[in-house]
Amino acid sequence: MNEPKFRYMKDLPSARLLGSGTAMCAGCGGLQALHGIYDILGEKTVFINAAGCMTLLSVYPFTPFRGSWLYTSMASAPAGAQGVRDGLDILLEKKRISTEEDLEVVVLTGDGAAYGMGLSSTSGAIERDLDFLYICYDNEGYGNTGQQFSGATPHGARTATSKGPRGFTGFKKDLFSIWAAHRPAYVATIAGAEPLDLANKIEKARNLKGPRLLIAIAPCPTGWDYRPEDSVDIGKLAVRTGIWPLKEYIDGKVVHTKIPHPRLPVEEYLKRQGRFAHLFTPAPDTALIAEIQARVDGYWKGVV
Amino acid sequence: MYRIRFHGRGGQGIKTASRILGTTLFMEGFEVQDGPRYGAERRGAPMFAYVRASMEPIQERGIIRLPDLVIVTDDSLIPIPAAGVLTGVAERTVLLINSDEEPGLWRERLALAGPILTLPAAAHAPHINTQLTSVLSTGAAANLIGVISRRTLEEAIRKELAPLGAGAVEVNLENGLKAFDLTVVLKGSVREGGKTQAASYDPPDWIDLPFEEAAISAPAIHATATSERVKTGVWRTMRPVIDYSLCNRCWWICSTFCADGVIRVDEEGYPRIDYEHCKGCMICVAQCPRHAISAIPEHGEDTGERQE
Repeated sequence: MNEPKFRYMKDLPSARLLGSGTAMCAGCGGLQALHGIYDILGEKTVFINAAGCMTLLSVYPFTPFRGSWLYTSMASAPAGAQGVRDGLDILLEKKRISTEEDLEVVVLTGDGAAYGMGLSSTSGAIERDLDFLYICYDNEGYGNTGQQFSGATPHGARTATSKGPRGFTGFKKDLFSIWAAHRPAYVATIAGAEPLDLANKIEKARNLKGPRLLIAIAPCPTGWDYRPEDSVDIGKLAVRTGIWPLKEYIDGKVVHTKIPHPRLPVEEYLKRQGRFAHLFTPAPDTALIAEIQARVDGYWKGVV
Repeated sequence: MYRIRFHGRGGQGIKTASRILGTTLFMEGFEVQDGPRYGAERRGAPMFAYVRASMEPIQERGIIRLPDLVIVTDDSLIPIPAAGVLTGVAERTVLLINSDEEPGLWRERLALAGPILTLPAAAHAPHINTQLTSVLSTGAAANLIGVISRRTLEEAIRKELAPLGAGAVEVNLENGLKAFDLTVVLKGSVREGGKTQAASYDPPDWIDLPFEEAAISAPAIHATATSERVKTGVWRTMRPVIDYSLCNRCWWICSTFCADGVIRVDEEGYPRIDYEHCKGCMICVAQCPRHAISAIPEHGEDTGERQE
């Protein structure tokens, strides 16, 4: 078994390569994950950014990146990545750039693009075995426009377009499995609140070739309705309640990288967020809470 | 025409406040424009909204440059140039500030000749999700304009806040009407501004650039991490302060968890907060295992540099 590069939190980089001064909300869980990712990927990267909250990272003439950034429509970031990768490959072939000058092509999209509009172009890119990294910051809704539901919204959550007594009546898509079913080089789930796990997965993905896709849970104070200071706690609780399984797909196998022992009740996670407040007040909706718990239990039963 | 500008922070309900005030004026028979200025601003960032109301058709568009009434829901915004609170404030402009400091003090501080009113009750209004900090100023503003009845204000609050639920309507109604009643002696202090002509507008402070070739004029950025030029520290209302006598230099916690990556690590391994960019999310305060970081009000007595 390979030794992880980062064994302890203190082994993590402290460079903070991603510039501050961005327009992301105070306490943004997606930004927290991104700066951890960027510290490891470094500046020899091109970010292909689909429309979403993180479009606002680079608003001319400001950018937090130290390398290039390209903006695409919501559905077409993987197609943009194909163009950039091809361009770099041509430059390499013509010896206009050296292999040291080559760049890692990184797609950055929210869940609206990853789980919905951009799924087709992602599928195509994996099919073509595009050598790229895909990072989805998943805040479980269209956060940039006021948190309307997306294909990533969990069952029961209140959104701007799911205001009924039972919140969102649909179910969160299993994007990890959808991606893994394409048999790409690497798929993983990560959380900014679990920086060691995140760092080792990014490090692993960085050293592979082909399509490598990661989904970062992105606790969202604005869209999930909690105080910004709780972002990390909520990310940790998503992992400890088993709602957000940390896992990776590599060499045809799915491996869980952090199995919560003991697994906390889902209420611990749900009750901290305003988007689930209707499950607790005026009277607890025990049936719906039990339903959410049963689904999480069912998942883990299949794991261990 | 009445020209009213609201200044507040993202999350204080400025957009809703302007909408409530716009609705009251509409219900009183005015033609109304109201809306927030949209941009990349987020919770805590300075932002503004505006209301125009006139008995005649409104031909003006865009931001309000010469306001009759300026409402400030957060007095910490006034010294921030980027917030533009005092833009176009003339002698006839009424300034309404949510502040527990005396109007006289503000007049002296800002060297303004026009009327300044303060709403002490609003300065410390708790902001919880269903209660809008800005509803107090809306209630007061409605009275200052002088053409809005208490009953209209009540109806407008009910109408605009109905989607938030009965509880939210009640608490905001109580606060909005309380502010209306408090300002009853000042009824009608705000006077309608005259007509403006496009020709009388001062040209904005823009710079003309010659038309360049695409390679030069295309919006490409040729420097790294230029976002650091944007001082997001102005978003902050609370300041995290590290007590270095308690800090045990486990920087990998506060610095790694800082969402904006603004806690740097110095040569001795101590975390250092970059206050020019810290947005005041307080994740570091919540995560510090030794409780060595505390949150203090940005504009209070105790802003001494305890960090040094």
